[in-house]
Amino acid sequence: MTVAFQPVPAVIETIDETVADNHFFTFRLAEPMPVAPGQFVELSIPGVGAFPVSTATHSGGATFQACIRRAGRVTSALYRLGEGATVGFRGPFGQGFPLEAFAGRDALLVAGGLGMAPLRALLQALLEERERVGEIILLYGSRDPDAILFRDELEGLAAAGTIKVRFSVDFATELPWSREAYVCRIGLVTELLRDLVFVPTKTVAAVCGPPSLYGCVLEDLARLGIDPERIFATLERRMQCGVGQCCHCVTAGVFVCRQGPVFSLAELRRMEKAI
Amino acid sequence: MQSWAFQAGFEDRLLQSLRPNYRILAPVRGADGVGRLQPVRRWTELSAGTLPLIPLKKVVFPPHDVLWTLLGIEYREPAPSTVPVALVGIAPCDLYAFAYLDLVFADDPHYQRRRQGLLLVGSSCRPNAECFCPPRREPPPFDLFLAADRLWVGSACGEDMLTALQEELSSPDDLPLPAEITDGQQQVPENLEQLFGASAGLPLWREVGERCVSCGACSAVCPTCYCYEMSDEALPDGRVNRRREWDNCFFRNHALVAGGQNFRPTRTERLRFRFEHKMLGFGALRGISSCVGCGRCARACPVDIDISAVLASLAGGGKP
Repeated sequence: MTVAFQPVPAVIETIDETVADNHFFTFRLAEPMPVAPGQFVELSIPGVGAFPVSTATHSGGATFQACIRRAGRVTSALYRLGEGATVGFRGPFGQGFPLEAFAGRDALLVAGGLGMAPLRALLQALLEERERVGEIILLYGSRDPDAILFRDELEGLAAAGTIKVRFSVDFATELPWSREAYVCRIGLVTELLRDLVFVPTKTVAAVCGPPSLYGCVLEDLARLGIDPERIFATLERRMQCGVGQCCHCVTAGVFVCRQGPVFSLAELRRMEKAI
Repeated sequence: MQSWAFQAGFEDRLLQSLRPNYRILAPVRGADGVGRLQPVRRWTELSAGTLPLIPLKKVVFPPHDVLWTLLGIEYREPAPSTVPVALVGIAPCDLYAFAYLDLVFADDPHYQRRRQGLLLVGSSCRPNAECFCPPRREPPPFDLFLAADRLWVGSACGEDMLTALQEELSSPDDLPLPAEITDGQQQVPENLEQLFGASAGLPLWREVGERCVSCGACSAVCPTCYCYEMSDEALPDGRVNRRREWDNCFFRNHALVAGGQNFRPTRTERLRFRFEHKMLGFGALRGISSCVGCGRCARACPVDIDISAVLASLAGGGKP
């Protein structure tokens, strides 16, 4: 297939500024671009540049939603734009989460910080066919209570009993809250695993967070008995072209943009310096 | 392969027949000893088999290339160049480099647009002390290939070129390409994948890598290096160009993401990355060495990093 470098124009429809420096953007695309959970797009601000961002929504593609952290030059430029401004999209790129792996099994989602955004798209996809999946457990660690993304939505799902949610925050002066359906603890998200009751042999795990999270949690999940072929993580790398050309994202000879960004732990173990 | 003997002066008549339809570029060794790709009119002007310092990839994959221009709300493709290029007097290793880039950019419209109009006339050469030849596999891509007083045809386009020059040629013989074009090849060990995988802890990488000054010369002069950076250029008249520009994996920001995480923070890791890319390949091209043996990188490196020496030392147990 011929590589296309021209972006599809898109308009910023809404900006939800609930979480500081981690705004939730909704874009309306001139042509639909369905993006599967775990896949990403290159969001272009003409005159400034482009950056890769994963979808936070499982949708038909007329709109694209993402949590975008103000982290660098191009995302800072996006923060200076308002609703109604035009940007551009290239994509979708990469291989998303293998949804069929979850069928008939329990799902354990482990999110750290902004990693919640791609897992929210996965969660939506799982909830669309809720009966195909067993129990769904979400462990979600944030820096502090104000940094929790999709808080109302996740609390709603937990309160309704649709999924089990356990929050953790790194810093808080007092325990933020503790309700039966969605406990929150102070500490690292990995600590939530300690007394978690689940059946490893019938569980599929999906992990998304900063590189430091992968260093500990992926092997922890394997030690608890989840098959490394069924532990999935999405790698952050410098993905610029999205089509396996520019080489910035290559890890152990693998184009993360094209062959990933979602890999199983079994694959990651074979890739030098992947974790 | 079909081969024809030709008479003295044939090369000039070949250039003459190309001139109406092509911009003819050939390697010319200047008074400063540097090889450059330059327009030529007569065969005596060119230094056949000389390697231009800046490799031929620049013709199909320019150092700065505009991917699109945004004018108001309208994205425009760059205007294609109208005059096709003929590269003449090209060494076999440089021809092999096109074979590799053809695989890398098989789906890339910007590369293909230039490559499809490109005419390649190869010239035989022999390896010297500073270079070696690519491993013998398929013949390199070419339209015509000249060695001493014989020529070979490698494409339908090359065959068409000859129709006007028939009377200058003998009747065809069935002859292979001259063996010397891949004579001095460096053997890539068959178990390189295993050797490389097991070598991460060897001091070789650090001892060689630490010398790197991130100048970027190695990949600028490499005929198969294709890493690129994308950047936007806002012009005073309001237009925006998205460009891609040659990059180098030894640059410190090659794997740096916003927020400060660098996935190849040390020179040691960057040397391993470069070696892996050249000798083993990435993605679907894993297992195909893209080092064609031209030796440009070793000659250009100000601190004597030579990845073919790294390969030799890895094959010999990892002594730097």
